[in-house]
Amino acid sequence: MTETSKEIDIRLSTFIDGEIGEEERHEVEALLVNDPQARASQDALKRGRDFGRHAFDEMLKEPVPLDLVRAIKTAPQPRRAVRLPQASRPNFSMKPTGRQALACGLLLFVVGGAFGYMLGAPPLAAPSPDALASVSENRDWLEDVAAHYRLYSRQGPHLAELPAGKPADILDWLTTNTGVAFRIPDLGESGLAFQGARLFSAAGIPAGQLFYKSAEGEVIAIVFTKSRPTVNPATESIRDDIGVVSWSTPLATYAIVGPSSNPSLDEIAAKAAGLI
Amino acid sequence: MNQPSAPNDIRRDLVALLPKMRRFALALAGAAAEADDLVREACARAIQKSHHWKGEGRLESWLYSMVRSLWTDEAKKRKGMRDAAAEPGDDAFGKPAAMLVGMPEGLAASFLLVDVEGFTYAEAADILGIPVRVLTSRLCAARLRLAAIGVEATERRA
Repeated sequence: MTETSKEIDIRLSTFIDGEIGEEERHEVEALLVNDPQARASQDALKRGRDFGRHAFDEMLKEPVPLDLVRAIKTAPQPRRAVRLPQASRPNFSMKPTGRQALACGLLLFVVGGAFGYMLGAPPLAAPSPDALASVSENRDWLEDVAAHYRLYSRQGPHLAELPAGKPADILDWLTTNTGVAFRIPDLGESGLAFQGARLFSAAGIPAGQLFYKSAEGEVIAIVFTKSRPTVNPATESIRDDIGVVSWSTPLATYAIVGPSSNPSLDEIAAKAAGLI
Repeated sequence: MNQPSAPNDIRRDLVALLPKMRRFALALAGAAAEADDLVREACARAIQKSHHWKGEGRLESWLYSMVRSLWTDEAKKRKGMRDAAAEPGDDAFGKPAAMLVGMPEGLAASFLLVDVEGFTYAEAADILGIPVRVLTSRLCAARLRLAAIGVEATERRA
């Protein structure tokens, strides 16, 4: 290919994208009218563009490695440096008089003595067993929630104990057994269809579970129980391939459970929280 | 009732853009393993620097620039090793991808940004850190090469 024909191809290519000056555009248009070789080149450029687009679009269908998704979802957010407004500092010259130095020395002696006395005093009370127990219980609860989801989400036709067609029975059954008054959220806007409900035990306390399915067959569950140790604000945690977004109200604790690769769990949780 | 908030968290956008980021990284690196390493590193950097992202323009533009910058650094360290790493057909993305990224270096990424992602010449050149003149030339070469590959593929099927 000569340098000239290469230059013509580049001009034809930029012409296709409209990234060409007005004068040059007229020249290329004239060239296309008069030169069959230029027309053939332009056709080839367009064919290449269409073929490449199709091939690159196909690449988006490849599944994304789960470890990449997890690496992102579990990465800590950086702390933002907050700069508080400060008044300009007045000039201060360090030239104490004899009296000031003596007063300062005495003050330091008293403060130092008091600090030493406090250090020597018996240690403060250790964190209460109740506080430690509540943290541990909360962890157990989330573990149980994830474990039950893992088990039941793979049960296919036996996903739910009570099917979606019996909403009144579900409400009555789960409210009686969990002590939590609730509604069955309609998550159709998120592409999720209600499948039914289950009752199970998480950290020794009855929990209700509402199952939903996406068009792709992905199972999402809403779990609720009587109030657990507070998990506010809503937190997302990952248990292997399962993501759990949990939050509390004064009366109940809720969680959305689904595949950790689903980027919308927190959005679904926000919707469900408003509806349940 | 305390509803869970859906904070403006860049991690959600990153997960949603993962397929596109992997595709761009593959266009640069030529091999799936290297592409995934680049994406992992770029995502970690994006999360750390998320406060720099002001929400103006396309997030992809910022992310692709980061991937390209990492790739440039990596390429300097491992100069000459690309051809050995990018075995056509030996890739998680399959045969069509191997065919695309098997083009001479720089062509696939230029084509992807302009013809597939819809960036202007100036934007694409900016992301790739090259002059517009070079991008224009690479884009033209990529289109002609892809036309030839397309003809070959059709003939093979026939």
